[in-house]
Amino acid sequence: MDAAIRAVALVKRFGEVAAVNGMTFDLAPGRIYGLLGPNGSGKTTLIRLLTGMTKATSGTAEVLGVAMPSRPNLARIGYMTQGDGIYPALTAGENATFFAAAYGIEDKARVREALALVDLADRDKTIAATLSGGQRRRLSLACALVHKPQVLFLDEPTVGVDPLLRVQFWGHFRALADAGTTIVVSSHVMDEADRCDELLFMRAGKVIARGTSAQLRDEAGTKDLEAAFLHFAGEGTVAA
Amino acid sequence: MNPRRLRAIVRRVVAEIRRDRPSLALLFIAPVVVTGLLTFILREAETPAVTAVLVTSPDAPAPIAAALHISLTSGGITVVDAPDEVSARADVRVNSGWVAILLPPNLAGGTITIVTNGLNPQAEGAQIGAVQKVLVSAAVAAAGARAPTITHETVYGAPSTDPMVPFAPAIVAFFLYFFVYLLTGISFLRERTGGTLERLMATPVTRSEVVTGYAIGFGLFATVQVAVVLTWALGTLHVPALGPLPAFAIGLGIPVVGSPVIAFLVVVLLGLGAVSLGIFLSTFARTELQVIQFIPVVLVPQFLLSGVLFPVDTLPSMLRPLVAVMPLGYAVDALRQVFIGGADLAAGALQADIYVLALVAVLFAWIASLTIRREVV
Repeated sequence: MDAAIRAVALVKRFGEVAAVNGMTFDLAPGRIYGLLGPNGSGKTTLIRLLTGMTKATSGTAEVLGVAMPSRPNLARIGYMTQGDGIYPALTAGENATFFAAAYGIEDKARVREALALVDLADRDKTIAATLSGGQRRRLSLACALVHKPQVLFLDEPTVGVDPLLRVQFWGHFRALADAGTTIVVSSHVMDEADRCDELLFMRAGKVIARGTSAQLRDEAGTKDLEAAFLHFAGEGTVAA
Repeated sequence: MNPRRLRAIVRRVVAEIRRDRPSLALLFIAPVVVTGLLTFILREAETPAVTAVLVTSPDAPAPIAAALHISLTSGGITVVDAPDEVSARADVRVNSGWVAILLPPNLAGGTITIVTNGLNPQAEGAQIGAVQKVLVSAAVAAAGARAPTITHETVYGAPSTDPMVPFAPAIVAFFLYFFVYLLTGISFLRERTGGTLERLMATPVTRSEVVTGYAIGFGLFATVQVAVVLTWALGTLHVPALGPLPAFAIGLGIPVVGSPVIAFLVVVLLGLGAVSLGIFLSTFARTELQVIQFIPVVLVPQFLLSGVLFPVDTLPSMLRPLVAVMPLGYAVDALRQVFIGGADLAAGALQADIYVLALVAVLFAWIASLTIRREVV
């Protein structure tokens, strides 16, 4: 099967700093990939390159066989930003309807479906500013899903989310992946990584290791992912 | 009051402002620049050059006309001869700084009529004064009679004693520009800082769609605002006495000669330019405070240099080239033509102003859309 996402010798420089420093990988459709690395390792820049928000200095980024940036291709891609990225003065329903329209969707049923998926169906008429922090994150997710994207990028989707909601979120992600959506989640929370089908350890703009959680731990000879990460990052092992 | 806690609060406030470099710069630079500009305009104000159009008709008393010619010239006034009254009025119509002097056949006890363009009553005050002074002394010297009566007419509109007449067009334009800029600048800043712009740019929506959408959305409110302001400024609603309540009037009742609909069109175009300006400047602001701080940098110079308070003719000549790049100046000029001159869309000068305003709106919309790319990349 063709890769859903492909990066070839991808580089993005900001002046002297290479935020993404030569990444090459293929990601298969219908799986959940975790981008793991410390702050500044290039996760957000990689997502911005793959969503066409920024142009590569060199190399190529392809999503669903189309080189990015490509505006028409964005109709097949969902993106949940680190911030909530919703309009506080609009209701939950109006927010979802607006982003649906931005993707060219006028179907009200689709909006209701997206809100129901994140358990906000009964909050349709609530002003977003009055929603709780967790509800706003859920609304943000609904806005990224409303057009049923084939590829979904989630930039630290569970930051500031309570453990119960985090479990719910991962339930949603798994259901979407089972339905064929390719999901790329960036995170620096290692314990979330176990829920991903495959992990890409990132450090200083490079992919330093790739595999399932179990594979990476075995290879590093450690019991937990944090220690495995440090092993691959070349910073010695931490007693597990 | 606990001095330690108080000290902590003062320290925090100082530290916060100290780190906000743009605010800090504006805090000191903006007042210096604005007060400096204002002082320069007031101190270096120039008396506008006066050109008098003198009718040398066969009916006019020739020796007096000749004497007047000499007096005016020695008074620093340029004199242009016109064959008759019609051509003198035509000269004044196209040259806003000119004053036509129509002499009666018999100067002694007669009435001298001076005709000005009328579109810029503020600037004309000084010109009329200069001509009048020479006129009275020359007429008295030449005719040896009692001073003639001098009446003032204008080509456009009628001389008015209402002090609001020269200011109304400028004030309507300025405040609309100001409020639309503020509203758009702050809204768009929220769009940039709230992450919604980034998210929007990850959809198939184009930058020009965003800017046009904003222009139409805010344009709707600007349109309503203009309608309200114009109705308030131009209208007078007389409310009759009712029981113990005395009769009163609502509205400023500023006289307008031309079509309020054309005035409306001009102000809406200016408003669309203000929407784009707000989007553009929001790129350079990180906080709402900074959007407000652009006012002394961008709006106050326009206020001072667009003929709102000070007639353009009296500005120091060094500053006058700047007037050409002030969008507000074109709107003020266009509105004066409509309010005072009664210009319609067939008038060339009004058309020129409208084209410039439309061009500014389109140009700034384009620049604004480029700043969105900058933000997202």
